[in-house]
Amino acid sequence: MSSQDVQPQAARRLSRRSLLQGAATAGAAGLAVTAIGSAASPAFAATNRPAAAENHSDVPAHAGPIVVHVRDAKTGDIEVFSGTSKTRLRDKDLAARIARAIG
Amino acid sequence: MSSHREAPEISKDPVADSTDVYAFVSPNKPDTVTLIANYIPLQEPAGGPNFYEFGDDVLYAIHIDNNGDGYADISYEFRFSTQVLDENTFLYNTGPIEEINSPYFNRRQFYDVTVVSGSSRNTIGYNLASPPCNIGPLSTPNYSVVADQAIHNLDGVLVFAGQRAEGFYVDLGSIFDLGDLRPFENLHATFGLPTLPARPGVDATNHLNVHSIAIQVPISAVTRHGHPTIGVWTTASRQHATVWDADNGQNVSSGPWRQVSRLGNPLVNEVINPLGKKDLWNTLPPSDDKRFAEYVTHPGLAALLPTLYPGVFPELATLVASGKPRADLEAILLTGIPKGIVPGFTNYTGPVLADMLRLNTSIPPTPTDKQSIYGLLGGDAAGFPNGRRVRDDVVAIELRALAGVTYALVDKSYTPDAAASKLTDGLTPASVSASYLGSFPYLGVPYSGYYNPS
Repeated sequence: MSSQDVQPQAARRLSRRSLLQGAATAGAAGLAVTAIGSAASPAFAATNRPAAAENHSDVPAHAGPIVVHVRDAKTGDIEVFSGTSKTRLRDKDLAARIARAIG
Repeated sequence: MSSHREAPEISKDPVADSTDVYAFVSPNKPDTVTLIANYIPLQEPAGGPNFYEFGDDVLYAIHIDNNGDGYADISYEFRFSTQVLDENTFLYNTGPIEEINSPYFNRRQFYDVTVVSGSSRNTIGYNLASPPCNIGPLSTPNYSVVADQAIHNLDGVLVFAGQRAEGFYVDLGSIFDLGDLRPFENLHATFGLPTLPARPGVDATNHLNVHSIAIQVPISAVTRHGHPTIGVWTTASRQHATVWDADNGQNVSSGPWRQVSRLGNPLVNEVINPLGKKDLWNTLPPSDDKRFAEYVTHPGLAALLPTLYPGVFPELATLVASGKPRADLEAILLTGIPKGIVPGFTNYTGPVLADMLRLNTSIPPTPTDKQSIYGLLGGDAAGFPNGRRVRDDVVAIELRALAGVTYALVDKSYTPDAAASKLTDGLTPASVSASYLGSFPYLGVPYSGYYNPS
């Protein structure tokens, strides 16, 4: 499967909200967001308290980390890694929310 | 080297860096083949307190193509997990490790073995113990006993994964000094610098260790009926995304596995592929090797030899200048040798150009005392490039082939230079201090840190 392929089933499992649960780091070439288990880092908690207060009962549980790579925030080109799968999304709104979430 | 630190990126990731692959009909059990993939190059035996180990975050595999298309038909996958009994000590072991389940063996590894064939996945071994590294007379006083306990029999399939003595012998210090071969350095161009006298080779990998993944399987389990030749290679893969989890002081990985290291024939990615393509080559399957065939058919090292050794290789110089493709090297490395080239021998797998270690399993093993370390070039069809045995002198064999010895097989009008058939870095299996074993896993007991401190 090429890196351009989208896995629809995996895409359905990943809601926008689940992506925004995690801690964040930003790089020059793009943005990468990682949710490590269910524990958000202190840095994320400090900058994202409103989101943490939301009801997440609809968010699927993931056994391992979810890594989000915003390849291009302007076009909304996003890669999401979970387990041994990769999902390629194009979602400008989500990319913008991630960018805002990390400040 | 065969493939130690052979490409810029993988050289920074030794845990995933394959160093050698061996494939041979087991000499003491000729209805089986033994496949060995080595990783983690150039281990100093005294490298504690965190001694060498496989990567828990690496997917190791040994692949077999049995229909000649350059894709794996059977893969043996190995996944490791590390367990620490006491995290409140800095010690790798808290007392003498005298058996593999010793309570003093503090940081230990276990692994699963999964056979993949098409869409089928069958895990044939769970939580198999790896042996410790060989530390010294106090920590590992009966190392061979413990190592033998790490040979697992999975219904007739033997597996072992752990530290071994480096069995590949090569004079790195000389070869990478601008192609110098010590036995012939009196003939080297030296670039105007003072001439050096000829002298014996020095085994740069002696007294160093590697980590081996070895498996011995019935020939019938890996071949198709009527097609005895298999192609073998190893890969290491990492998950696509890795992020440093600073809160827990560790990397976390996620996403699909992506191949980062590959090895079939020795020295192909080392000295055949150009620097700018090596890491790309590492990510691809053998079926893609048509893209790299020009480096095999017009090898840069063959063109260098007449320059490095002026006047020694006039026939080779003429051959290189002619621009004729090296069909001999293409056969040896990318297709196997068709019938009619070497009397009574073939390991041809078809027209697909794919770098695989091709083993014709119908050729019985040669008794040790009758083996030629020069394999097929030495008249011993059970040795490289028909598979590869642990003692085979693949450096000399490939140097001689590159220098034109094998070109005469495909062009009867070509007469190789007299020096071509004598090329060597001056080493033999006797250069390796640790004795090879006569039985699985065949590579010697690793050197201990105590007795080999530097």
